[in-house]
Amino acid sequence: MQKVSTNAMPVKKAKRKSISYDKYGYLFVAPFVIVFLVFQLYPIFFTFRTSLTDAAGWDKVLNNRIIGFDNFAKLFAFDTEVSKFFWQSLGNTVIMWLFNFVPQISMALILASWFTDSRMRLRFQGGFKVLIFMPNIITAATIGILFMALMGYPVGPINVLLQQLGMLNSPFEFMRNVAMARGTVSFIQWWMWYGNTMIIMIAGIMGINPALFEAALVDGCSSRQTFWKITLPLIKPILLYNLVTSLVGGLTMFDIPHLMTQGNPNYTTNTVARFIYQQGFEAPNNFNMASAASVVLFGIIVICSLILSALMKDRNAKPAKGVGK
Amino acid sequence: MKKILSLVLALMMLLGMVSFAGAEEEIVLNVWSFTNELEGMIEKYYKPTHPNVTINYVIYPTDGGEYTSKVDAIMASAAASDEAPDIFTLEAAFVKKYVNSPVTADLAKVGITEEDVAAAIPVMKQIGTNTATGELKGLSWQATPGALMYRASLAEKYLGVTSPEEMQALVADWDLFMETAAKLNEASEGATKMVVGAGDIWNAFNFGREQGWVVDGKLVIDPILYDYLDLAVELEQDDLSNKGAAWSEVWFAGMKTDTTLCFFLPTWGLHYTLKPNCGLTTNDKMTDAEMQAACEKDGGTYGDWRMVAGPVGYSWGGTWIGANDAKVEAASDAKKAAIKDFILFFTMSEEFLYQYAKDSGDFVGSNEIVNKILAEGGTPNPFLGGQDHYSIFAEAANLANGSIMTDYDEKMNSLWSDYVTTPYSKGEKDLDAAIADFKAQVTAQFPELVVE
Repeated sequence: MQKVSTNAMPVKKAKRKSISYDKYGYLFVAPFVIVFLVFQLYPIFFTFRTSLTDAAGWDKVLNNRIIGFDNFAKLFAFDTEVSKFFWQSLGNTVIMWLFNFVPQISMALILASWFTDSRMRLRFQGGFKVLIFMPNIITAATIGILFMALMGYPVGPINVLLQQLGMLNSPFEFMRNVAMARGTVSFIQWWMWYGNTMIIMIAGIMGINPALFEAALVDGCSSRQTFWKITLPLIKPILLYNLVTSLVGGLTMFDIPHLMTQGNPNYTTNTVARFIYQQGFEAPNNFNMASAASVVLFGIIVICSLILSALMKDRNAKPAKGVGK
Repeated sequence: MKKILSLVLALMMLLGMVSFAGAEEEIVLNVWSFTNELEGMIEKYYKPTHPNVTINYVIYPTDGGEYTSKVDAIMASAAASDEAPDIFTLEAAFVKKYVNSPVTADLAKVGITEEDVAAAIPVMKQIGTNTATGELKGLSWQATPGALMYRASLAEKYLGVTSPEEMQALVADWDLFMETAAKLNEASEGATKMVVGAGDIWNAFNFGREQGWVVDGKLVIDPILYDYLDLAVELEQDDLSNKGAAWSEVWFAGMKTDTTLCFFLPTWGLHYTLKPNCGLTTNDKMTDAEMQAACEKDGGTYGDWRMVAGPVGYSWGGTWIGANDAKVEAASDAKKAAIKDFILFFTMSEEFLYQYAKDSGDFVGSNEIVNKILAEGGTPNPFLGGQDHYSIFAEAANLANGSIMTDYDEKMNSLWSDYVTTPYSKGEKDLDAAIADFKAQVTAQFPELVVE
């Protein structure tokens, strides 16, 4: 607060002499604010409202009534079919996210520390970074279709290859196997996003004062010690940022499962976002249930993010202040 | 000179007045559709003969449900407004939703009588009819009956079949069909399968049901569907199919190689699916003779296909024309007449249908025109080795029963395939578990239905 007021002082003085350009600032941010209000904030409130109504089917959407928390009661009843499938979807999502996130962050950290390690001096760094980042540029839809073709049954490149190598006797239907189907979805998410995470990690590590690394080197730290004792504690805020964005992205996972598996086999790859889509936009148009599920998902994401940041902050609070001073 | 000029001017003025007086009331029709198919037909056939009707043609794609969302939204909020459609087209996937709702007008309201539509192909008329009230609400310019396409050379080699009549005898019902499948597998030593997969025969098989998916708000699983499951198990586990899904790589491969004998395809499937995938690097501008020559060179399957009606008459796909009830209620008599004329022009009139059939080869929705074309010798199709596809489709069209179509078909079919047919036929689940899973999905997605 104090900082703000001291900053404002010179502006006020200048005002007397020259024209204030402050108002133009509003003009510049107006397009974003308007678009945000109309296309994001309003739909969010509308979703909250819809979740309290009986708006199932198009004719009721414009003539709906507020019925209170019935939709939420259905989702939390645990013995109704809707509730069963909602929580199963959430479980599927968390499993697929974990199998994507843990390898993703580990791989990104390893690569980032290699690329920034002054002792390793990796060659062709730029080339590697581009190659690793590449899958992120391709749209998810394209990748979904690509993997579907690769894993095709009974004839597909992977099946043909494995049969020719003698690893399979007959074609294997990957997409009918729960572990393989979930694994493929996780793998694609991992493959698409570890490059992106790596770039952010590199940026984080580069932001650390090089004097600290030099000091560690002089004091005889091994690479491993430098990583665990210096790099990792200092990029915790970046890790937190990554964890939260990945959690939000992971819990709202939609495109790859929707394009590749449609929730098959037997609902094991159906994510929460697909549950919402099915309720809202496939045949039945149960907008009320879709909205209620969205609100619950929103709540889960908010709670998880708060828990994560609380956990990370606790341990980080003291050293961060020390470094700052 | 001046005199002549003034005379000419006076004449021109007079002519202008005469033509003004002769002009009828200007009619504007809003037409909504999801492709430009009807637009092309309007430009080519309708406009030249209907100069006093202005058509505002609006397209919303069906991708992601955009078209139905737009229609639903305007029908719920401003059905009688100027922007709302007077006439809109309905695709097979959602035609039942609209003809069973009050949104579409009973065509009798614009003066279309039973006599006007007597020649319409029954299955298309049935689908365009409100199931509960029996009002006719949608008509189609085409019929989309399906048939069984098979490879003549493979049938002769493994089954000794030399004519479509002999083939039809081998697939006249589903028991015979399965016997033939087993015989084929044995004779070809597994090189050629009867069909690509169980999903492939679904579109035909489900027309053998006596009841649709939903009757009086209750989920109905017609007993014949259990027969379908037995058949799916045999096709999958006894190695009688390629074990692939429709529209997959294997499915398309079966069209150009010798791995598959039969495909169940409707009218559009013959022209837009089978023909372009018969192994030629297709070029739309190729004439049939050129395609034949290219095929002999490249080894595609062009010209080797024949068609029979198969075990059951069925219909797959199609587009219907319906009218907006709110706009019809508010319309003047002249406008009602224009709506009636528009619908009948495209769906019943010889003026349009005959020429359209000649130009496009599409199978039209009026038995009168179909019979006329058949009487003229049909449409010998070089892709089918000179066989006339019109006569087979005509047979299949008049066999199919459209009364089993419901608003729920598309979603129910995919749930049935995902939760029953596929896991059960692959031996992942037993029958009771599969049916229970299916019912659970239906309950969760259609809360308004009674599931027992």
